[in-house]
Amino acid sequence: MRDLRFYGLTVLGLVLFPFAIHPIGGYGGLATQILIVGIASIGFNLLLGYAGLLSYGQAMFYGVGGYMALLTVSRFFPDHPNFWLAIVLAVAFVTLMALVIGTLVVRLYGIYFALLTLAFAQMFFFIVFKWRDLTQGDDGLQGIASPPLGLGPWSIDLTTPFPALDLGPFGNLSDLHYWYVFVAIVTLAVLAFMRALVRSQFGETLAAIRENEERSRLIGFDPKLYKLAAFVIAGALTGLAGALRGLYETSIAPDSLTVETSGNFVIFTVIGGVKTLFGPLLGTGLVMYLQNVVSAKTDAWRLIEGIVFVAVIVFLPGGVLGTFGRKRARTDLARAVRAKPETTP
Amino acid sequence: MLDGFVRGLVYVAIALGLTIVFGMLRLVNFAHGAFYAIGAYVGLVVAERLGIVAGLIAAPLFVALFAVAFDRLLLRRFYDKEPTSQILVTFGVAIVVQESLRLIFGGTTRTFPIPQALMAPVNLGFTEYPAYRLAFAAGIAAIVVLVWLFIQRTNYGLIVRAGIRDRTMVQLLGGNVAMASTIVFALGAGLAGLVGAAASPIYSVDPDTGFSFLVPSFVVVVIGGLGSFWGAVLGGLIVGELQSLTTLVLPAASDVVIYVAMALVLLFRPSGLLGESEVIRG
Repeated sequence: MRDLRFYGLTVLGLVLFPFAIHPIGGYGGLATQILIVGIASIGFNLLLGYAGLLSYGQAMFYGVGGYMALLTVSRFFPDHPNFWLAIVLAVAFVTLMALVIGTLVVRLYGIYFALLTLAFAQMFFFIVFKWRDLTQGDDGLQGIASPPLGLGPWSIDLTTPFPALDLGPFGNLSDLHYWYVFVAIVTLAVLAFMRALVRSQFGETLAAIRENEERSRLIGFDPKLYKLAAFVIAGALTGLAGALRGLYETSIAPDSLTVETSGNFVIFTVIGGVKTLFGPLLGTGLVMYLQNVVSAKTDAWRLIEGIVFVAVIVFLPGGVLGTFGRKRARTDLARAVRAKPETTP
Repeated sequence: MLDGFVRGLVYVAIALGLTIVFGMLRLVNFAHGAFYAIGAYVGLVVAERLGIVAGLIAAPLFVALFAVAFDRLLLRRFYDKEPTSQILVTFGVAIVVQESLRLIFGGTTRTFPIPQALMAPVNLGFTEYPAYRLAFAAGIAAIVVLVWLFIQRTNYGLIVRAGIRDRTMVQLLGGNVAMASTIVFALGAGLAGLVGAAASPIYSVDPDTGFSFLVPSFVVVVIGGLGSFWGAVLGGLIVGELQSLTTLVLPAASDVVIYVAMALVLLFRPSGLLGESEVIRG
């Protein structure tokens, strides 16, 4: 029953979303971009929210995912460009990358963890920036058309718009491309996966490690292994988002790997609400809406974004959803390891 | 070689503030680069009207005051929170500062006006070097010594050093840790502001300057050891030289190499080259 409600409401939300933002200045393309970046934020939340690990280097997975997808199309298999191959190769490469880097970073804690992820992200930024032969350096990869989406006997061009249909204040149906449907389905799958993950034994153990690593270890869990798994899953989802972004935009540039991009995932997730399923998506939507719509009206949008971010940290430490959303009881395991030991006088 | 040394000195001075603040407040300050940028712009504005000396005095004072306000109004609420939320709040303030500077001064690159005479090269016997850069290097060296004397020889320095060891104990003994924290924070910020103003004739300024100096400064502090005074000095010189030497040998790797060094230090000696080995937990 709860499953039914989750799927029903999520599907409804995803269907209505691109039209609902139209009266306030949004558009179909923005809705697609928000979902793509949202997937990366959802993945990042597994680290920051559920595992309590602040990674300051998510941009390396995002950017490299984008580069790998576009290079697969334009460089590795130029004669047989294939949509799925681009995605699979990008995600596989980023997963491997996250596995190697993760093995190293999970040995550290707190700020040292944040600084080490930052160091790795900077390395990848400069590698991409300087490796002109492969990446075109500063210019980035431009104008690489996405191959059609092959589905069994069908081959779908995702840039096809829907037929024209006037929806009054909610715009026109033709404002939306098939891309949106594809990305919305992926988003739904990612949300369902994340929902199952945090409710599983794995998710509970991760929360327990976050609350008290020492005690979890003494119970018999291997914290490093769980944190590594979280790091790899988050990296893979971020790489997937990067690959989608590259294919959707038909371009990718080194700015996708900057500290600023890594910081954006942090901002999105914190504003929306860590430790909540929909928070990262909501935060991504709110901030990207600000970026796109407010930036057309005033140059101060990023200042506004910064002020909102600081205000949320100070006044709504749980983020928008974490504060106003329905409270879900902390899991038993997490509560148990967090509890103060009984002291005997 | 000398360029690397001068750049290294800039890193030293920025990292010094970062590291004493970390030592005292256990805070990784992502807004530290913003202090540098504010200093650069304040110095610029004042120097254009009242001359370069006034600019060099106004910049650190203004930034220190700004830091006190930031500490009292915002940061104080986060002293007892986990390091993650401290990083987030300083990161947020850094963005607010950067964007405010962009709105006030525009996005274009500015250069600090200094008299031509100061730019003239001086013969050092083995090479010629601009006078301003020499004065800058001497100034930074003097400041490093002054800050060290402050921490080692004054009563406040004593509270600071004791506070780094054991906050609670100092509090119990009647030391005003909160006040000392604010002073250290203002000192670190003022230092960044001063360097921002003093370095802007050499490295021009734009609103993104803060972040572009912040990230290498993290490298410096990590290599030297978070919280270690001489670690920041050593780390700054190492990073400056490492960058300029790899630029000569293998230009493509000059930026990557310092992050590789940072990662290696974090992995094999997280307390840094000169840091006291503390427990790297939680």
